[in-house]
Amino acid sequence: MRIEKCWFCSSTIYPGHGMQFVRNDAKIFRFCRSKCHKNFKMKRNPRKVKWTKAYRRLHGKDMTQDSTFEFERKRNRPERYDRNLTENTLKAIKTIDKVRSRREAKHIERRKKGKKAQEMREAVKELEQNISLVKAPSVLKEDPSLTLPKIKVKVSHAQVENQPMEE
Amino acid sequence: MAAGFASKWSLVGRSLLGGLNNNLSSLLGTSNGITCSHSLSQQQRTFIQMRTVLKVVDNSGAKKVMCIQALKGKKGARLGDTIVASVKEAHPNGKVKKGKVVYGVVVRAAMQRGRCDGSEVKFDDNAVVLVDKQGQPIGTRVFGPVPHELRKKKHVKILTLAGHIA
Repeated sequence: MRIEKCWFCSSTIYPGHGMQFVRNDAKIFRFCRSKCHKNFKMKRNPRKVKWTKAYRRLHGKDMTQDSTFEFERKRNRPERYDRNLTENTLKAIKTIDKVRSRREAKHIERRKKGKKAQEMREAVKELEQNISLVKAPSVLKEDPSLTLPKIKVKVSHAQVENQPMEE
Repeated sequence: MAAGFASKWSLVGRSLLGGLNNNLSSLLGTSNGITCSHSLSQQQRTFIQMRTVLKVVDNSGAKKVMCIQALKGKKGARLGDTIVASVKEAHPNGKVKKGKVVYGVVVRAAMQRGRCDGSEVKFDDNAVVLVDKQGQPIGTRVFGPVPHELRKKKHVKILTLAGHIA
């Protein structure tokens, strides 16, 4: 008994589920359900179909490189049954799975958090450079209070930013 | 629409067959239509029956055979079954000549076959390996993948000759 991976969506195929298609060049395609099979028959590329793992990994939505993936390599050599080994393996599977899902969640969280500091810096720079779009440079020269002071203090930056905008 | 037309045509074609399969095939057509809800774009694969042309994947000399009779099975032959076939196309110098009546074992079928673990397998085309009455293959090589359903049917010789076992 072996738990396979769906060729299209990369989900696990448990025994009793899914379909296998054997092509004439002896390549075997396994599908977890008819949804994946039908997409395959439509000749869709899984790397372009948004809900597949292949797409998500390719576009950086999911974690790709981690040490926890090493444990799940496919091994074709059968191991002699050893009760201790089996027990340890089962325990290890549980903990590795927990660690991996925790790390994946963190990856997605980090991705969703956004880049507040970088966006702030970009906004300040844009204001400095393109203030002429909002107000004529001659006006700014006459009234120096309208220009941004080059002090790197967070609070005053926010205040000064608002000033030209309101006028 | 094309598939609907095709299925209608195939039903008509089947009714033109020998009177044996008449009612069975129409029943078969409808029952298979029900199992697959939208047969609009999907091809419904069915059994190997009389008039089915199969590819020959050994070096016995034949290239295409047409099934005359599926031994065992009221509706037709499936993966791993034996059939009686007539050679329609053959290599010029081979052991088997055109027009000969031969037995064959179905090694690839486009219709899915359930495996004992609950999953299903299907192949890309319908292919057959010619055998004699005792079940020994006539040719000496087999091309392409074969399923391991043959082991249960006691066609071990074909499995040993095969390149890939699916």
